[in-house]
Amino acid sequence: MVGFVNKKDLVSKKINFNNFLLFDGAMGTMLQKYGIQRGELPESYNVLHPDIIEKIHIEYLNAGSDVITTNTFGANRYKLKSTLYSVEDIVGSAVRIAKGVASDKLVALDIGPIGQLMEPLGTLSFNDAYETFAEQIKIGAREGADIILIETMSDIYEARAAILAAKENSSLPVICTMSYQDDGRTLTGTDPITMVNVIQGLGVDALGVNCSLGPNEMLPIITDILKYSSLPVIVQPNAGLPKLKNGEAVYDVHAHEFAQYAKIMAEMGVTILGGCCGTTSDHIKAIKDVICELHPVKRDVKRITAVSSPSLTVVLGEKIRVIGERINPTGKKKLKEALKNNNLDYILQEAINQRDAGADILDVNVGLPEIDELEVMVRTIKELQSVVNLPLQIDSVRPDVIEAAVRIYNGKPLINSVNGKDEIMDSIFPIVKKYGACVIGLTIDEDGIPNTAEGRLKVAERIVSRAMEYGIDKSDIIIDCLVLTASAQQSEVKETIRAVQLVKSTLGVKTTLGVSNVSFGLPQRGILNRTFLAAALTAGLDAPILNPLSEDMMSTINAFNVLWNKDIASAKYIDVYSSFEGKSEAKEIGTAKDLKSIIIDGLKEEASKITKELLKTMTEMEVVNTYLIPSLDIVGKKYESGEIFLPQLLQSAETVKKSFKIIKERMMSSADKKLSKGTIVLATVRGDIHDIGKNIVKILLENYGFEVIDLGKDVHEDVVVNAVRSGNIKLVGLSALMTTTVRSMGETIKALRDNNLDCTVLVGGAVLNEEYAKMIGADYYAKDATQTVKFARKLFKCE
Amino acid sequence: MEIDKKEVLRYLGYKNQKIDKNITDLIDICCKEIIDICSKHSVYEIFDIERKNNQIFLLGSTLVLKDKDIKDLLLGCEKCVVMAATLGAKVDSTIAYYSRFDITKGVIMDACASTAIEYVCDEVQDEIMKNALKDNLHITTRYSPGYGDFAIDNGAEILNILDAYKKIGLSITENSIMLPRKSVTALIGLSKTLSSKKHSGCADCKNIDCEFRKDGGFCE
Repeated sequence: MVGFVNKKDLVSKKINFNNFLLFDGAMGTMLQKYGIQRGELPESYNVLHPDIIEKIHIEYLNAGSDVITTNTFGANRYKLKSTLYSVEDIVGSAVRIAKGVASDKLVALDIGPIGQLMEPLGTLSFNDAYETFAEQIKIGAREGADIILIETMSDIYEARAAILAAKENSSLPVICTMSYQDDGRTLTGTDPITMVNVIQGLGVDALGVNCSLGPNEMLPIITDILKYSSLPVIVQPNAGLPKLKNGEAVYDVHAHEFAQYAKIMAEMGVTILGGCCGTTSDHIKAIKDVICELHPVKRDVKRITAVSSPSLTVVLGEKIRVIGERINPTGKKKLKEALKNNNLDYILQEAINQRDAGADILDVNVGLPEIDELEVMVRTIKELQSVVNLPLQIDSVRPDVIEAAVRIYNGKPLINSVNGKDEIMDSIFPIVKKYGACVIGLTIDEDGIPNTAEGRLKVAERIVSRAMEYGIDKSDIIIDCLVLTASAQQSEVKETIRAVQLVKSTLGVKTTLGVSNVSFGLPQRGILNRTFLAAALTAGLDAPILNPLSEDMMSTINAFNVLWNKDIASAKYIDVYSSFEGKSEAKEIGTAKDLKSIIIDGLKEEASKITKELLKTMTEMEVVNTYLIPSLDIVGKKYESGEIFLPQLLQSAETVKKSFKIIKERMMSSADKKLSKGTIVLATVRGDIHDIGKNIVKILLENYGFEVIDLGKDVHEDVVVNAVRSGNIKLVGLSALMTTTVRSMGETIKALRDNNLDCTVLVGGAVLNEEYAKMIGADYYAKDATQTVKFARKLFKCE
Repeated sequence: MEIDKKEVLRYLGYKNQKIDKNITDLIDICCKEIIDICSKHSVYEIFDIERKNNQIFLLGSTLVLKDKDIKDLLLGCEKCVVMAATLGAKVDSTIAYYSRFDITKGVIMDACASTAIEYVCDEVQDEIMKNALKDNLHITTRYSPGYGDFAIDNGAEILNILDAYKKIGLSITENSIMLPRKSVTALIGLSKTLSSKKHSGCADCKNIDCEFRKDGGFCE
């Protein structure tokens, strides 16, 4: 998959990014002048009124635009679905119209957002977004567009899909702009540094900001972008913020004032200018008059080593950054079990715990011989990104797994790892380059780990110079000088510390180390780990890979940050430790109540401890049958009678869940594993994204000892059919909350029946009732979660 | 922004049960968190109305209203406000997070957000009312797709004419689910005379099994 279309010879007109480049202004505003109605499809004018589109292009060309933009902002298959036009009709005609008048000027193929929210919040998948953009780009490139302009992006994931589609399906230069709100972030939360860090690496030719704000409001955002972007920066502001006049939104920054801002921007270092909503050929003419007297400014760009999630960029070097190591099955029995059983919740919980303990980046390794690593890695990355906002480190020995994960990753990932072996560098560096990732380089090569610091520096040098041959900047490489174990190679432990110093001072790259390797095979490993960590930090280690749940490690880092003047005024240290003793004391008091009343009162913090206490004298099943089930029955009855309401029911359910967790862990280690009362598949049906109700049902069913396969939301009927077939499932629970999605609920039931699967289907959701449920072929309707439990217990004969 | 705790409780199906401090504390925490994370955005425009062939046309736009209830609302109105508002995507992701790892909080956050988006709409409506009064116009109540017989698929067209995805990041799926979830589209009529059409609440609603159905309250 690696590799883009060769750029040579294919660019039709030479584009000089070293000089100013003037784009055009708004298409929509001009169309309004020509009488387009609100809600009319602007792109339909390419077919219905090509003369008007042509006229608009000519007006901009006459005003001085070097680039005109095709009338294709919304010309994607989703927006055109309900119209008479195909993407081919619209994009094809748009490029032809622009080319017809452009002569020696350039034509930019305009690509706007698809208009649907992407997964996980929405239903548009990364691959569907990619395919949608690819369709537009192939047509536009074929028709002879000179540039691809991806603009007005709010979601950096969507921008990423569009850029990949542009790079993989054309050889044209690509420019990408995003739109910011006045809080300095896009609507989906991306800040300027994150945008630059993610997009710059994807091989675009210029990047910047457009729409949403006026020129004045954009200045702070532009300042940030200019600080970090080593690419040319483009700005296309609206003509001010919209104001309502006679019920209509108008933009009132006039041409002269607009051009004064353009001048300021050009003096700051912006080289590509144009306008968005509310701007006309007057605005473009005014900019033209201003910039013809200016010269592009040379900028000082700050090169940083940084990885990003969609809304958080972690910069290495400013302070110590912790890479959490716990999502890795090596030596972790519970994680292995979770991976084998598809128990993603366990992995997600590990991520949450590490985040809460202060990790900055999370390593993700799911390599187990008995699972499909590629499929599990992709799914894990997607799920992790929907739950935690930290950048991820993708850790695998398989290049195909790394590429698949990096491709669907949202942000700029860290790849773990390459080393000095030619074969490894030649398979991993193209991925690093193409997807704009950071990568860890291990100082080991065909001859093993060099004994001395100097030897490791040599390997590091080779890695860095080979990376540069691939076009990867040094700032995207993080060197791991490799920690040896004191029990086996005691004399070489300090060579690692020396190597960190040497590599940093010679190569100027950031460094990482897997710290806890040092203590393998020795008792009280924490003592060695923290002491070694302190030494490594002193030597200049930037990003230790460690267990953030270890108090030894985190306290060492907190202390180091104070002593090395990184935690200014000891603010974080004081925050963490000033009330430290008080907190642990508070946890000790108040466990005198019995488990039953703890459950009924929903005191979830106390459940684990008292369950452990009970298990000293009772078997697991005795605790379940004496405490958990009877208390749940009481709570269920109280809920049904209206004595308690939903949040109270749920608090009790979560309390039982805590208890159950302890019990399940015990049973995993003991021989008697027969706890499950039966397995149930749950899903929110295709097209529906409401899943709180389904999650409530899930926790209650689990409370009663059922195993739940939760297929999630927006689940295609094939996925339900497969899950039921492969698990030989007897009960399926389907949820839908909209009248519009009850239809797909019916289709799911039909698919189950058509496949002759002998299962009972139970349905629920706000718009359903007994009658409706029958109509769509369900076996039963449950009005709420407690009814579902009752039904399941009856079906599986638990009562 | 203020979130009315009584409303939150109503969304949670509260019917005067005895509640402990831990639940009321949790509601307080959730209200605060929703206010912290929400990024409220709204957009509206006002169109002149033309009546033709038993349909209402909003001039200068492609929106045509055919359903009885919405025509009733706009009876005697000369203009119609088309509005959309949202709490933004972070509210969705936060609720999704809690609904997976702390379901009690997830459910309460959801109720707080539902209350909050109504508050945002009230603010917008208030602004519309004040501006309308300057022109001696009165507003009707706010009416959304899905109320009465006003078909839910009108939501897509409302968002389209407002260019709502570009302006406030609000999208809608084929199944008329708005994303971000905590969002509203609505129409408000403007007329020279004080509107006689008040929201009639549950009495007029066809959803007779609705669990929120109760004395004078309504369920949007």
